[in-house]
Amino acid sequence: MPDITLSPTPARADAELDCKGLLCPLPVYKASRALDRLRPGQVLRVECTDPGSLADFPALARQRGFTLLSVADRDGIQVFHLRREM
Amino acid sequence: MSIAPGSIADRSMPSDTSRRRYRDVRELVASPENPTPLVRLNRVLRPGADGYLKLEWFNPFGSVKDRTARALLQGMRDRGELRGRELVEATSGNTGIALAALAALEGLRLTVTIPSGVPREKLVLLRMLGATVLPTPDELCPIDNPRDGAIALARAIAESPAHAGRYAMPDQYANADNVRAHYEGTGPEIWEQTEGQVRTFVAGYGTCGTLSGVGRFLKERDPTIRVVAVEPQRGHRLPGLKNLEEAKAPAILDRSVIDDVIRVEDAPAYAMVQRLFREEALIVGPSTGAIVHAMASLDGSADPIVGISPDGGQKYASFYADLLDDADPTEV
Repeated sequence: MPDITLSPTPARADAELDCKGLLCPLPVYKASRALDRLRPGQVLRVECTDPGSLADFPALARQRGFTLLSVADRDGIQVFHLRREM
Repeated sequence: MSIAPGSIADRSMPSDTSRRRYRDVRELVASPENPTPLVRLNRVLRPGADGYLKLEWFNPFGSVKDRTARALLQGMRDRGELRGRELVEATSGNTGIALAALAALEGLRLTVTIPSGVPREKLVLLRMLGATVLPTPDELCPIDNPRDGAIALARAIAESPAHAGRYAMPDQYANADNVRAHYEGTGPEIWEQTEGQVRTFVAGYGTCGTLSGVGRFLKERDPTIRVVAVEPQRGHRLPGLKNLEEAKAPAILDRSVIDDVIRVEDAPAYAMVQRLFREEALIVGPSTGAIVHAMASLDGSADPIVGISPDGGQKYASFYADLLDDADPTEV
């Protein structure tokens, strides 16, 4: 399983997670653990290909108190930006 | 398994069972030739009741799941599903511990997804056996199955295209070999140990392998034998059991063999655990408390009753610490 990697050019994200080819709920599981390793205020960018992520990520943000900053769907790849608050 | 020339393990087994020895620990997993003990309950049931517990914690890795794990791996090996792959399984601990032990003997890697709230002792045992442990919140998959996060995560690991078939999942909740373990083992053992006199069988809703396999075997012997399922409350704290209103019914559940469902709350289950420790000297796990509480509610028409004691109490010391009353004497 690929792990979290620090982005060399953190324009908006402090860390990135490649979840392409992973089925739900693996993307939210990995994102939740990656966000726990960030500091409050830092942002995680996640790329997914399982459409179930579109429902799972808002639910994850609600449950764990993360802020879902953006959701984009580009050529079948969903891109999420989440911020750790506390 | 290779055994040094001249080892006594090579010689045939003495007919005297008191001199029995084993070629390796796997031979200790229960079978009709080597059954787990059936022990009478003399104090915690209604007066005069004829009830027995089948102590599955006499299995070498500590629970009824030793039977399941052996059958799951045997089936996968026979179907050629293990070659070059790693294992991933969802478990509340006991199946994981048994799979981890067997996987270690066979050189297989194991990843376990485990519901949060499982006692620390089980997590430590799994890691001691070399398994990768992924604690999983129940509500991980809020859309599909709100209380089955560990199962959903294990399936995702097994089936994700990015993993390219690297993982094989025994899937105890949907694998008929789980039922077979009890149809060929636990069921015949109970029939023999009660000399065919058993009238009622009691086990918990969990993976439903025990209920489905033992239930089917006993009903084939005598359709009037009553099979009772024990179901915990919603949001319960009884590892291994499932409330089927909040969790999906396992695919292997055979409802046709179940006559009654008895619902048990956490408090009377844990109170019964303490009575079993103190009045029967049986060091049992929490699910046994729920099962025996249900056995105690049955009237004389149910006798003889056989209940399953899925595991022992040692792995739950941190849970049981909450049960102890501060007023219990700690000084002489």
